[in-house]
Amino acid sequence: MIITRYLHSKWLKVQETWSVFTNELRRIFRDPGVTVIFFLGTLAYPLLYNFIYWKDNVENVPVAVVDMSHSEESRAFLHKWNATPDVTITHYCTSMAEAEQLMRAQKIHAIIYFPTDFATCLNSGMKTAHISLYCDMSSFLYMKAAYLSCNRVMLEDMGRIQVDRYEAMGMDKQFSWILVQAAPYTETALFCESGGYASFLIPAVLMLILHQTLFFGICMLGGTAREENNELFLLPGHRRGYSVLRITIGRSAAYFLIYFALSALVLLGVPRLFGLPHIGDPIAILKFTVPYLLAIIFFSMSVSVFVRNRESGMVTLIASSLVFMFIAGVSWPQQMLPDAWRYLSYFFPYTWGVHGFLHINSMGATLETTAKEYIALWILAGGYFLTTCGLLGIMGYLHDHHRLPEHRHAEF
Amino acid sequence: MKQIFLNIWKVTQREIGRMLIRPLYLFASIGVMGLCTFFFLSIMKRGAPERMPVAVVDKDQTSISRRLCHETNATQSVEIVLITPNYADARLAMQRGEVFGILEIPEGFYADIVSMKQPTLHFYVNNAYTVGANTAYKQLLTMCNLTSGAFQREVLRKKGLPDYLIMERIQPVAISSHLIGNPWGNYGIYLVSTILPGILAIIVLMLTIFAIGFELKMQTSREWLETAGGNFTVALIGKLLPYTLIYIVLGIGCNVILFRFLHFPVAGSSLRMMLAIVLLVFAMESMAITLIGALPTLRDAISIGALYGMLGFSLSGFTYPVMNMLPVFKAWTWLIPLRHYYKIYVNEALMNGPIENTIIPMLSLVGFSLFILLVARRLHNALIYNNYPLK
Repeated sequence: MIITRYLHSKWLKVQETWSVFTNELRRIFRDPGVTVIFFLGTLAYPLLYNFIYWKDNVENVPVAVVDMSHSEESRAFLHKWNATPDVTITHYCTSMAEAEQLMRAQKIHAIIYFPTDFATCLNSGMKTAHISLYCDMSSFLYMKAAYLSCNRVMLEDMGRIQVDRYEAMGMDKQFSWILVQAAPYTETALFCESGGYASFLIPAVLMLILHQTLFFGICMLGGTAREENNELFLLPGHRRGYSVLRITIGRSAAYFLIYFALSALVLLGVPRLFGLPHIGDPIAILKFTVPYLLAIIFFSMSVSVFVRNRESGMVTLIASSLVFMFIAGVSWPQQMLPDAWRYLSYFFPYTWGVHGFLHINSMGATLETTAKEYIALWILAGGYFLTTCGLLGIMGYLHDHHRLPEHRHAEF
Repeated sequence: MKQIFLNIWKVTQREIGRMLIRPLYLFASIGVMGLCTFFFLSIMKRGAPERMPVAVVDKDQTSISRRLCHETNATQSVEIVLITPNYADARLAMQRGEVFGILEIPEGFYADIVSMKQPTLHFYVNNAYTVGANTAYKQLLTMCNLTSGAFQREVLRKKGLPDYLIMERIQPVAISSHLIGNPWGNYGIYLVSTILPGILAIIVLMLTIFAIGFELKMQTSREWLETAGGNFTVALIGKLLPYTLIYIVLGIGCNVILFRFLHFPVAGSSLRMMLAIVLLVFAMESMAITLIGALPTLRDAISIGALYGMLGFSLSGFTYPVMNMLPVFKAWTWLIPLRHYYKIYVNEALMNGPIENTIIPMLSLVGFSLFILLVARRLHNALIYNNYPLK
């Protein structure tokens, strides 16, 4: 008898959770604003970003040449430099002033200058020949393309000249080569071989898109709930009998269900579709997504308690995308963050989520390897779950005791 | 005429009242801009990446390999956080994101190099983190080249050559690089001077859409129009006046902090930079009016505005050059006010280039106000009839 009663009450609770869950799903699909953010946002943004960064690497940066040495050596150097994919020589100038004008007018993004004594120095066998490279810093990618390619050509040329000089000293050719290449080296890009901008940025952006669409969507739903039934604030439906716990679980289950499917589509599909790095185990990525989504959901639900209108969350927090991106240490290395910001970043699901995803997807790490991020996300998910329940409880209590002015939302 | 000014003032008074009653307006403008300025300036304080963690796989474990480690560690750009005889450990550290590069010193390196058997050094970088990887790459490349150089120096010394003759043999060609406009290669200067105006731009966009759209949503637009004496232009000017003042103060304040207090380089005129940010504010307001006019439902305009605004950062071309984008996006960048601002910034602050490179983007920014004409009628009707969905 007691057992059946117990089971019955349990069953009622499950039923209540279920009804919150279905109610929330209905709310999502009936709200065109939320469906646009959830579905259009998650699917359109990745495509747009992939098309914007379509070419991945910056290639054929226009450069100008000021060759005062007019020598075979400088021409040979320029031939090789021009042959690299990174730059294209578009202008041959007779003076630095002319090249400077071109750079100021943004027609070219780097200038290479050979002084008059370039060939003389090289052929004297005694002196160091100098090349000057002037890089446009309006985008670091211009600088990277011009600087690295020029350096590579220089290093290659240098070996040959060194050998010539040692031979002139009377060493035999083979000995000279060994001397020059005393310790040859190989360079390998272990992950993201192309080294391109898209293959670095887009995986991080995918995680951010999931984070921000979910975040703004939940803020919008929270704001709507508060606009529509101000008696119950964020508690959907009119039956206040639901406990905070069941409401939190029911609502989050609805978001999770939708976003788990979207994440699978975005995180697994987009890298494969656009040839971005995807060396990770899909199952590991899906497993990693679980705490990531839960952490975002509860984080957003906690924040949404403070959102009074449908749209106000988006208006005030739109800049948060950039803050999350930078504080997570993706564009700017984590090691360079001031300590205070780094500690603060640990409270954001995106920080752990993006590193974990990069580790698994772009760097082929297993779930065990990225355990730190995985566990941190579970802790955040748990922590924000409690925060959500707590905040909803407090809001309910304040409301019941009329501590919150009614209809405040409708003022303006 | 006097009546018009009076009406503008009435609408402005009404708007200031609305502004003060909800904390959102001031928080989303002054608060967010202040927080973001503080955040980005403090996060980028150290400018150039330094002490990037790398690992060394020292299979040799001799005095030479240790010296190579010491010398690598003594450089500004990298810091050795892991020395291990085992490559797998270093790779694991990289997969955990603990190091950006690995230098592998092969077994018998010392013995081989002195017996001229050309032992090969290997280095690996992790391009999944581009800034760290680039820094580590440059440094490890230099260290590997210096290794051969150091060996040559020792051999030449033994042959009795004086040091000044040795250097010319080790380094017959030298490149001196000059970074125009940002000689320190400072990421802070590079990123912050476009990100902060970009954030201001998106705040202006969202908040202007919200300020107008909220009238539609709350069905107060008629009252607004009546306060303006039924004149649409007056209503718009009066409403946006207080916000515009705030935005202009924020924008100029931001540029004063960057170029005057923090001494970010300005090769040309800092006055024109101030003008540029004012024009950016006007252009974003025009785009906001255009969006809410085209989609007179607050929710739709906000969603599309957010999409358009966030794309502005990518399409302005300050990280990834527009030159490299597909033609359709090249065309799209013309519709991004931040793109024009960035062009002015490059021309004025970095290059001090020809004046037409400042004037054309400035005219383009002014040109954004023409978009309002396209939607003025539609928005006016929406204000009167409120004939679009509220939510």
